[in-house]
Amino acid sequence: MELILLPLLRFAFGALSIASGRSRRTFAVAALLVDAALLSRLALTLAGGTATEMVLGGWARGLGIGFVGDRIGLTFASLVWGLGVSIVFYTWRQNLRPYFFMLLHLLIGAAFAMVFTKDLFNAYVILELLTLASFLLVGYGRRPGQIWASLRYLVLCSLGMSLFLLGLAVVYVHTGTLDIAELALRVAASPSAPWVRLGGALLVGGVAVKAGVFLFSLWLPAAHARALPAVSALLSGVVIKMGVVELFRLSEVFPLELTFGVLGVATALLGILFAVQTYDLKKLLAFSTLSQIGYLLIGFAAGTQAARIGALDYAVAHGLFKALLFLAAGEAARVVGGSDVRRLVDARCSIPTATRAALLVGILGIVGLPPFAGFAAKAVLEAGIHPTFFHAVVALISVGTAVSFAKLLPILPGRCATRSDWSTTTAYAWLAGAIVLFLPLSIAIVPRSMLSATWRWPAFLEAFAAVTLGLTLHRLLRGRRFRLPQAIFRIEEGTLVILGGFFVVYVLLQFS
Amino acid sequence: MSWLNGVTVSIVLFGIGLLGLVLRRDLVIKLLALGLVNASTILCLVSLGARSDGAPPLLGISTVQNIVDPLPQAIVLSAIVINFAILALALVFVMLLVERYHTTDSHRIERETAEEEEQEELWS
Amino acid sequence: MRHVSVSLVLVAVGLTAAFCVVVLLGFGFRGPGIADTEPALSVATWIDVAQGTGARNIVSAIYLNVRLFDTILEVLVFSVAVLGVHFYLTARGRPEPVESIPESSVVRVAADLLLPLILLIGLYVTVYGHLSPGGGFSGGVIAGTGLLLAAIVLGTKTVTARLGRRLLDRLEWITLLGILIVGLVPAALARTPLVDLLPAGSPGRVGSGGSILLYNGLIGLKVFVGSWVIIRHFVDHRGEI
Repeated sequence: MELILLPLLRFAFGALSIASGRSRRTFAVAALLVDAALLSRLALTLAGGTATEMVLGGWARGLGIGFVGDRIGLTFASLVWGLGVSIVFYTWRQNLRPYFFMLLHLLIGAAFAMVFTKDLFNAYVILELLTLASFLLVGYGRRPGQIWASLRYLVLCSLGMSLFLLGLAVVYVHTGTLDIAELALRVAASPSAPWVRLGGALLVGGVAVKAGVFLFSLWLPAAHARALPAVSALLSGVVIKMGVVELFRLSEVFPLELTFGVLGVATALLGILFAVQTYDLKKLLAFSTLSQIGYLLIGFAAGTQAARIGALDYAVAHGLFKALLFLAAGEAARVVGGSDVRRLVDARCSIPTATRAALLVGILGIVGLPPFAGFAAKAVLEAGIHPTFFHAVVALISVGTAVSFAKLLPILPGRCATRSDWSTTTAYAWLAGAIVLFLPLSIAIVPRSMLSATWRWPAFLEAFAAVTLGLTLHRLLRGRRFRLPQAIFRIEEGTLVILGGFFVVYVLLQFS
Repeated sequence: MSWLNGVTVSIVLFGIGLLGLVLRRDLVIKLLALGLVNASTILCLVSLGARSDGAPPLLGISTVQNIVDPLPQAIVLSAIVINFAILALALVFVMLLVERYHTTDSHRIERETAEEEEQEELWS
Repeated sequence: MRHVSVSLVLVAVGLTAAFCVVVLLGFGFRGPGIADTEPALSVATWIDVAQGTGARNIVSAIYLNVRLFDTILEVLVFSVAVLGVHFYLTARGRPEPVESIPESSVVRVAADLLLPLILLIGLYVTVYGHLSPGGGFSGGVIAGTGLLLAAIVLGTKTVTARLGRRLLDRLEWITLLGILIVGLVPAALARTPLVDLLPAGSPGRVGSGGSILLYNGLIGLKVFVGSWVIIRHFVDHRGEI
């Protein structure tokens, strides 16, 4: 029952935030406490036995909307909850309108529903609610740049969801059901039927627009760069992960290994390429998000259990350190007055020490140094990948991440100390604590045996080697500048690239 | 099966909407095209259950054998409201942009937003 | 039409045409009820479901009982839309009042006659939603159109003044909370939420269908108020109607 109470109560809190705007912060804290209680109950039920399955309204399976509370769902729900805590702290003193809090509650409630749902149309409505809520949040400051970025976001996501709905129609015509478990059986019964390929391509292409796959998610850099830092953290940490969760559910139905492999490699490499050449801090973080999503897709593509669990573990870790980086970067950019890295380096003494420490922890997490969050997840993931090609790509991504983040290192040192207020420091401490303590925390997701198998010298060596190589490459490449085409981020090209991506997925599904 | 049924028409409309979204520079036309794309998916879903002797899904009024498939119709209700919300909010944003830039040309708005960003970086 | 690059046109037309062809060929729709395999859900299943809930309108039984959660999410989408319009269009503070264009007497007399009729039809469609096509969404929109007619004749300021501004703002979240609470009440009674607790009644009467009538009423009120808020903000922003 907690599965459906989590979203419904959150929505109620959202409505209450509008009802009594003055108590909006109290409602936010109360909502977090209620969610913590429900999540712990769910965790206890899961620890006791198998996953909880329920159909909303008590109807028969296949007739109503099915919800399943398994480990994946609980993990992502906890991630969303943790990010919610940090956002509430971070924005405590910013005096945001009740409208912001309602959208926040709706976003988190929809995310809770998304991680548990097993129904295709329910996923569609939840993804649309997420799009609308996050699109309004991106435009919150009402600056023209924000409004234009969020309008592009809305148009491209709406197009993606229309593709998803077409795919739903295709699938419904041939199976008569919208339930993912039932669909998986039907697809397995006739895996080479043309409707399977078309339906799969449409569904995956539609969700990929939201999930941060590079070809499809060209709205991502502008939306992240121009939004409020709390909103960017939510986008990277919550909204995109929900697309990834839906891709994960779809991968249980369709044979998507080859598709994820190709899309993952393309996303990772292109993301790193754009991340290396940009000197805008927020855009750097946005491109880095894209490349890490590629990493996740490669994990799903590898097919082994270890790789899938490693990918999920890494998704959680990425949510944590990307949120921390966005929050800290937002604070730094606000203090300095711009987000260009060179200006941040010049004015680094005006950036509070807590912010710089938070940036340091975030960078350590994202480049995968032990014992922080990224390291263990990467090790588990790599242990599960067997083709050498993927190993090479993964190594390349690690080096590329180190190269792109090396340019932030000059911001960190400085003999000056500036104070920041308690709310932002608490937010940083919360997330940084989770990153530092990630290894013991991840016992909840990754089985002990897998973890201990990766806590070995080769993994350490690989991590340190990647970082050193990245630093050296950054030194060497520091003088060179290269420009990549920026015109692909417009609506027109974005639409055509989504169509092209659909064809790529369609062709790949022919060979699966 | 005749090729002139709701599903085929809806896919052609989807294509027309896509072309409008890509080829026209005016923001309002782009939104119209997006609305057309969304409406065509709705048409597709509703036509899935259509039949020549079909009856509305009302018990006690229609003969049970002729009732059309009610599930796509129930689904489409949500999709209609979602499309309405998207269009309304997108129009609000277009209004705000037009007030600021006095044009509905998407390329010009793109250019001016990018220039403004660079200006902000230089001045502050 | 302004100048568009030739390459863009070629690529766009090519990709779109290819997309349409691929989807048309792969769709495999040969008519309703003709599929390669036995569909999981058939019309007969839904007829049984509707007979169980006591409603005559099978579509209402589906989206207000079996797939109620989708409808709740959809109501939330609608609320988000209304709130978004409100938030972004009141950015500049109160707009200066603009004199509304006086309408001719034909319009005024016709509006006088039609307005109560439109509102009554909206109410009828909402309340009888579980017996005939309609429901909260359609009924609310019909009633909202009636208000739009009143606004054309009287001006939005007068209509808002007559309705009461506070009432409208409160109704926004009251109806939303109402829908969520009706869904959560079974949880308070130790059953799963979103279950229909009211009796099914005898089909064909207004008092049948369980809580479908309750939901229709709440949704109708919400859409009525929400559509009026959206119309009012657009009109106020533009200056006149």
